[in-house]
Amino acid sequence: MDPASTLMPAARTDELVVEELPDETLVYDLKRHKAHCLNRTSSLVWQHCDGQTTTAQMAEMLEEKLGLPRDEQIVGLALDRLRRAKLLADGTYAPGDEMSYSRRELVRKLAVVGGLTMLLPVITSLRSPLAAQTGSSVTDAQCKQCIGVGLPCSDRPGKSCIQHPQSGNCRCG
Amino acid sequence: MEKLDRLGWAAAVSFVSYGLRIGVRANTPEVMDQILELLPPGTKPARGPRVQLLYSVVAGGTKPRTRIRRFNMLYADAARIVRTTVWERVRDTLEMDLQLYVAENARRRVFVHAGVVGWRGRAIVIPGRSLSGKTTLVRALVEAGGTFRSDEYAVLDSRGQVHPYVATMSVRDSTGGHVEKIHPETLGWPIGVKPLPVGLVVVTSHRSGARWRPRQLSAGRAVMELLAHTVSARQQPERALATLRLAISNAMVIKGVRGEAEEIAAALLSRAADRAPSISTADSGRRAAAM
Repeated sequence: MDPASTLMPAARTDELVVEELPDETLVYDLKRHKAHCLNRTSSLVWQHCDGQTTTAQMAEMLEEKLGLPRDEQIVGLALDRLRRAKLLADGTYAPGDEMSYSRRELVRKLAVVGGLTMLLPVITSLRSPLAAQTGSSVTDAQCKQCIGVGLPCSDRPGKSCIQHPQSGNCRCG
Repeated sequence: MEKLDRLGWAAAVSFVSYGLRIGVRANTPEVMDQILELLPPGTKPARGPRVQLLYSVVAGGTKPRTRIRRFNMLYADAARIVRTTVWERVRDTLEMDLQLYVAENARRRVFVHAGVVGWRGRAIVIPGRSLSGKTTLVRALVEAGGTFRSDEYAVLDSRGQVHPYVATMSVRDSTGGHVEKIHPETLGWPIGVKPLPVGLVVVTSHRSGARWRPRQLSAGRAVMELLAHTVSARQQPERALATLRLAISNAMVIKGVRGEAEEIAAALLSRAADRAPSISTADSGRRAAAM
């Protein structure tokens, strides 16, 4: 049996806030203040990361539920994305040669099967903003162009964009 | 803080804003009138002096019989947040800090930095930071027939409905430099008063000459776009996510680069109308006196 087929990854559960949507999963990492949106394929793989389901079984599950070809490379792509997003428990999965894949190769495969590229595992991530970064503020670069004089500088908490009365130059100060 | 407490304070006020008790004290009574104009919409006087946050405003003025200008200072509790000879900086910093504190810590509300316009019983929400062009788009939508609800925050309740946040707008010129403070009532805009469900979220930025070809976002991507502008995202992520999810549950969320706001206003109202219930009185706002 292919060693990769016996891998049984586990999802991380600590310090996460999870919101299930019909076709996606939202995950907020309280430790890193990052939010992730898992598409349907990534969500299904993550949900089955229980430390008891093998990657071979996951591939079978994706075939049943989504009509994807039974291909562990698709599972490997999802697991790699979950690992990068720090959503897998430490030590339960590490990429190895057995799970090597090329995303381009997978896209080609799925396109041939009938336009299933939309089902490739995708995780969209963003770093949760600090309060001051969300609204009326300017970046250091914008301030240097004298855009947003008077607004707080999001890159420098406590500073505002000010214009020198004589030279007309602007800086966060 | 004790050192600050020992200074002579000539005037003080305490108030409640979105469930938060805040106080402001000043060393001269003259500045208090200006400060009262900066308070967030919906603020009510508080009973009793106990507050969660106390601002102290020290107006420097000019030393008598000299032309020496003293520093003006602003403290939030014991922390000094600005020290300047320019009074307007203190006033502007107080306004922004206060607004941010309320938005980040409000009880029972989630604040998303966004413009909001009402149309046929639904809210059109335009998330974006300053200088992103949302004020321009808000103006275009109001002039195309919508009701003004906010230029600064979409204030969401626990059911995902958007409450009005009607405050003085800071309208910048095309370089982002000169600022004019305008209240929407003085423009004769109709002002919405009741909470509305979200019908349309428009994630956009301006690029001169751009062709408007938005794509629709999934629910998950829609929440992410709003989360990027949610003031309390780090402070209260669980509540933020749950509220945003509710807010977009019956809304269409679109994203794209736009050209001039007037060119797309009618199209946006049409899209929002597709999500609207039959016309109701929910969106009837009080008309500005000027009209």
